[in-house]
Amino acid sequence: MTLQGILILNFIGLLLLLWVLNLIRHGRLYVGYGVIFAISIIGTMALISVPRLLVMVTHMIGAVFPASALTMLALCFIVLMLLYILTQLTIVSNRLSALAQDIAIERARAEAERTAQGKIAPEERGGAAREIWNESE
Amino acid sequence: MSRTLADGARARGSNSPEGFEAAAEPSRVMRPATGRILVAVPAYNEAGTIARVVTRVRDALPGYDLLVVNDGSGDETGQILRRLGVTVATHPCNLGYGRAVQTAIKYALSCGYDALVTLDADGQHPPEAVSAMMEEFDASRWDVLIGSRYIATRSYRAAPLGRRIGMRLFSTLVRIVIGQRVYDTSSGLKIIRRDVFEPLTHWHFVDFHAETIVYLMRLGHRVGEFPVTMAERTHGHSMHTAINYLKYPLKTFLLVLLGLIEASLTRRRRKR
Repeated sequence: MTLQGILILNFIGLLLLLWVLNLIRHGRLYVGYGVIFAISIIGTMALISVPRLLVMVTHMIGAVFPASALTMLALCFIVLMLLYILTQLTIVSNRLSALAQDIAIERARAEAERTAQGKIAPEERGGAAREIWNESE
Repeated sequence: MSRTLADGARARGSNSPEGFEAAAEPSRVMRPATGRILVAVPAYNEAGTIARVVTRVRDALPGYDLLVVNDGSGDETGQILRRLGVTVATHPCNLGYGRAVQTAIKYALSCGYDALVTLDADGQHPPEAVSAMMEEFDASRWDVLIGSRYIATRSYRAAPLGRRIGMRLFSTLVRIVIGQRVYDTSSGLKIIRRDVFEPLTHWHFVDFHAETIVYLMRLGHRVGEFPVTMAERTHGHSMHTAINYLKYPLKTFLLVLLGLIEASLTRRRRKR
């Protein structure tokens, strides 16, 4: 890689790193995700800056050109991050569903208790049902 | 499991077309032998049918408690249910059919019900058939009894092509995996015994269809079918969209396999 390429890529990496740190600082990116991004950016910057390290990694993963090795690593990173983010999304979605279910159940229980205490007469409920049914017909 | 799936219904003479008719007759008003029973109706945007379904349930099953799970409906369903004075568990947002059924199961478990009857809110399931189902459920001690559209004829000829293929596929899958035939794996009309409430709240089920049947049977629970005549949907539209016709079989197939593994691991853990 030319010196110009190394400088440009490192500059982009530095900007990304600053952006990630800023997002963490403002609470817009969870620190756990931020750490993964920061480590990956620093690792990539190191690979780009030290040609011997890049050649070593290229040989290690069986690639012919250093650029292919970088592309392969980037793809692996994207797939792993996607999987990680989807896992986290699923966990959050499951928690949200459980919370929504609990709220619904608690409200329904309170309603059923109120009905059992006689605050809503059963015949009233039946009457209302028939009324709406007739309306819809 | 000493009896085949249809044995319960067959033993009671309800497996023939005549039995099929008898099962769909209006029920005799009686207190269920099972104990406290909850009828749960998961509803999503069913303003056109929900009042009629609630009235039919109240008329046909006076000895049962009723819960409607309003799964974040965006139409008038919530307002209608409020006017009806029915007990409603309202999801703040749409969580899907499986979660709605699971909410009903969790509610039944927390309130100490002995059995849960699930009915769809589109009016296709006749509440009048539940009493006959309940008799069979009690007599044969099923853990889950499915109201089946196909057990009487043992044929899918009356079903539309798409459903026919799906039914055959999942019925065959269940037979291969469990060794027993279930003709209607996607029926929403079910009676579930308290013993299976807990396992059903732990694992993830998409629609409580084939994946649930395989999971429960693999855990050693008894699942049966009872012939029921179902009406065609008159309002709204099916939860299966065009993309779902592709996604649903793949999702269910994957969950059947995972359910099988999960149930086997659970059994092994229990043995230890």
